[in-house]
Amino acid sequence: MRILSTVRTFLAFVFRRPRVEREMEDELRLHLQRRADDLEQQGLSRAEAERQAQVEFGGYQRYKEECHEALGTRLFGELIVDVRYGLRQLRRSPGFTAVAVITLALGIGTNTAIFSVVNTVLLTPVHAPEPNRVVAFITTSRRGSSSSFKFPNASEIKFNLWREQTSVFQDVSGYRLDSLILTGDDQPQQARAIFVTADYFRLFGLPIAQGRTFTAEEEHPNGGSVVILSDAFWKRAFGADSQIVGKIISLSGSSYEVIGVMAGGVQTETLEPPDIWMPFPIDPNSNNQVHYFQAVGRLKPRVTIDMANAQLQRTTQEFRRKFPHALSTSRRETFIVQPMQDVLGKDVRSSLLILTGAVSFVLLIACANVANLLLVKGAGRRREIAIRIAVGASRGRIILQLLTESVLLSTAGGVFGLGLGVAGIHTLLALNPSHIPRIGPRGSNVTMDWRVLSLTLLVALITGLLFGLIPALHASRTDLNSGLKEGGAGTGSGFRQNKTRSLLVISEISLALLLLIGAGLLMRTLIALRSVNPGFDPRNVVTTRTPLDPPLAKVSGVDQIVHNVFRRLSVLPGVESAGFTRLLPLAGDFNSVPIIVVGRPLNGPSHGSARRMVVSASYFEVLKIPLIRGRLFVDADRLGAPGVAIINEAMARQFWPKGDPLDSQIFIGKGLPWLDEPARQIIGVVGDVHDNALGENPQPAVFVPAAQLSDARTAGIPVTWVIRTRAPSPSLNSAIQNELRQATGVPVPPLRSMEEVMAQSTARQDFNMLLMSIFGGSALLLAAIGVYGLMAYSVKQRTHEIGIRMALGAQKRDVFRMVIGQGLRLVLAGLAIGVAAALILTRLLSSFSHLLYGVRASDPATFVAVSLVLSGVAVLACYIPARRATKVDPMVALRYE
Amino acid sequence: MLGNGIRAHADVLPGTLDLLILKAVSLGPLHGYGILLRIGQISKGALAIEQGALYPALFRLVRQGLLKASWGASENNRRAKFYQLTAAGRRRLHKETEGWNRLVAAIGTVLGTQPEEI
Repeated sequence: MRILSTVRTFLAFVFRRPRVEREMEDELRLHLQRRADDLEQQGLSRAEAERQAQVEFGGYQRYKEECHEALGTRLFGELIVDVRYGLRQLRRSPGFTAVAVITLALGIGTNTAIFSVVNTVLLTPVHAPEPNRVVAFITTSRRGSSSSFKFPNASEIKFNLWREQTSVFQDVSGYRLDSLILTGDDQPQQARAIFVTADYFRLFGLPIAQGRTFTAEEEHPNGGSVVILSDAFWKRAFGADSQIVGKIISLSGSSYEVIGVMAGGVQTETLEPPDIWMPFPIDPNSNNQVHYFQAVGRLKPRVTIDMANAQLQRTTQEFRRKFPHALSTSRRETFIVQPMQDVLGKDVRSSLLILTGAVSFVLLIACANVANLLLVKGAGRRREIAIRIAVGASRGRIILQLLTESVLLSTAGGVFGLGLGVAGIHTLLALNPSHIPRIGPRGSNVTMDWRVLSLTLLVALITGLLFGLIPALHASRTDLNSGLKEGGAGTGSGFRQNKTRSLLVISEISLALLLLIGAGLLMRTLIALRSVNPGFDPRNVVTTRTPLDPPLAKVSGVDQIVHNVFRRLSVLPGVESAGFTRLLPLAGDFNSVPIIVVGRPLNGPSHGSARRMVVSASYFEVLKIPLIRGRLFVDADRLGAPGVAIINEAMARQFWPKGDPLDSQIFIGKGLPWLDEPARQIIGVVGDVHDNALGENPQPAVFVPAAQLSDARTAGIPVTWVIRTRAPSPSLNSAIQNELRQATGVPVPPLRSMEEVMAQSTARQDFNMLLMSIFGGSALLLAAIGVYGLMAYSVKQRTHEIGIRMALGAQKRDVFRMVIGQGLRLVLAGLAIGVAAALILTRLLSSFSHLLYGVRASDPATFVAVSLVLSGVAVLACYIPARRATKVDPMVALRYE
Repeated sequence: MLGNGIRAHADVLPGTLDLLILKAVSLGPLHGYGILLRIGQISKGALAIEQGALYPALFRLVRQGLLKASWGASENNRRAKFYQLTAAGRRRLHKETEGWNRLVAAIGTVLGTQPEEI
């Protein structure tokens, strides 16, 4: 009630202020007139009567103010006056205002930037109706003592079981992404395809603009060759043909009927928006154990995550009974669901949280700096404040006035910061998209919505109060006598104030140290990652990806395409060797198949899984992967010849800790329908390659010669070509691209160097390091400005003292040393606090896995180096004031008083 | 008639101005000056208020919802803001009057006490 009436009064005040003011004025004036009239009737002259009426009325202005107060509008009136006064004050010192606003814009802008990413990645609900009920299916397992590993992929067996849990889930859907080639009248082009099961469209509420979605029929294996186009692809590839529905198009050599076009602007939770939707038939009786797609679903109404997970616990046990070897009991594998929103952002949550922490430190430093500026300015305004107190302003009134000024500053900083932050983060994301999920192509989903806007305003407001409070309290404590006497000559602001300012600078230094150590550790991580030997020689190797599709290449078999490619490339001068692989190292491909060693007991622990690599015979030579034992593939290892395989050292170590792998035969992917084949003889062991990530240990891998797979298992499947050249050359690259297009008959994406692929594999660490360095650098700059400001002010304050010292025989050198020493004491105090805090906080960094690599959180080298850099910069910031101190002329200084 | 009343014999006790205003207005809508005249008239000039002090009190009472204000024409056809009692105001007046009477009676009893009665 009370709040409501205050709001109403305030609104009335804002919108009807002139009227209220006029009416009040009228009422009081009419009173005076009547009184004067009455007095005139009693015999006084008109002039006498009016004077008398005024006297009887009492203090006219005072009562008017009391009336305002009675209306509850006085505070607002004062606020407006304060704002006007504040604006005038800020205009009067443009230099100070500019520095403060820029500092604040930097501090607030970095917060806006990071928050806008956090907002998009972690806070934006999944694009679906009732997004909170959309969950993702995961298999968790324990690795090591406590860390739990979450495996987001689904197999057909698991999927069918999950789909049966209709008591807790509905619309359980599977999806997977792939790339197909659209051929037609024009140049063939790539189409990003998403294969989805029947309920996917209902789950995500995707609206069809033309035509229809898939029928239940079409969701069955061999149910029908149909496709739905995205709005963008319909426009791009078919010129927005209004007759498209019902037409037949050719995708990767097969014909499909277009049955619909998706509405424009549809958001899907995939890294890149799909061009086409295709049915994803999953046989309800499948016993396929390969994990090759993702499963999502919706909680039924009134079902909580916990209830669903309890049900899945039972499902896990059922699954374990049916397929005793499919789940590891030692690692306590379990099915769970998690809100899809959490799953989408899980990879980047920890780094985003740390970056959020970092930017709040930058903001705190900016606050400390502006507080320091205000303290200096407050010292110059002592006379003004003393006068205001003398004429009756209360202390609260003065504090309110000063706080109004600082909030004005921070609001201005917030407005600039908002622009700076949004523009800055877009530039950064466009430069380095770093595989952050959900941000859209080149960060286009990162936008300024109400959350970003209101957070920025809130931060600005809090910032203003934060840095304004201490200076305001200080200034309002002005002693009337000395304030009026000293007349703002800028001398003798007390010891207490300098202490406050020193404390502010010390905290700036410790915060800056924290940020710089964070940046330093991430830099060391990146250096460590970059210096990891990947296990192959990436120099002068270029790669690109095409499918091997005989009809498109207009030849009869896959081996002919391969033969043609090699023949064409071999005549290009500059090409040293060429090969291909299904999975390129460090390109983010994942694959794992069960391995069974022939002759060992089937129930024993000596089997396992490995990454299955289908490669050309020349693959090892091109990438210079060393042969450790045995032999490499030769041309004779072809279809019809005895099956052979090569393993890496990690696999040899894990499967044959003592024995000799070269004596053994293995089944690769036994039980998987599409991999079913006789056992293969191991013929060689090659060196380990960091396939998944430079920061991860190489996992067991088995290589199979592509030449030993039938066309049924290779046709249409994309392979990545690896070509070693004598030297990098753009013209050679386009020649290679051209020959590949001729030989494969499909469009060839631009070539990338293997070094680029490696660099991209650390893109996220790059991004973290880049941002952390920007924040650390800003912190360093701000801290340096803080130190400089304090020392410059202190030298100015001590001019008189320095003059006396010099008059008494102090040398320039002594004065110089004295000033530097004073600065250094602050810096050392800041460093000590900073190091202590860093030792605690950096543990956080290391507790998030994958953030640090090859460096300990308390890395002494980083701590020492960063401390040295910071002290160096701080001493530099003291240098100018110290030089100025030595230039003090004792005569002038003494007269100065 | 008001002349002497205003230059006052007894100052109004703090807190009682509101009560006086409510009482004055309870007899019929009045403008500010009229309220002063009526207080002077019914107190026979015994109570005095500084005239300006009336207005903050009026604004406060309006804000508390005890009085209602509207612009109208005065007896000699001049514009004036008239105040009248709201239902809440009437209840408040009733309550305050009772409270006041009790207070006066109590204080009267105390002051009338003779030494031997203690």
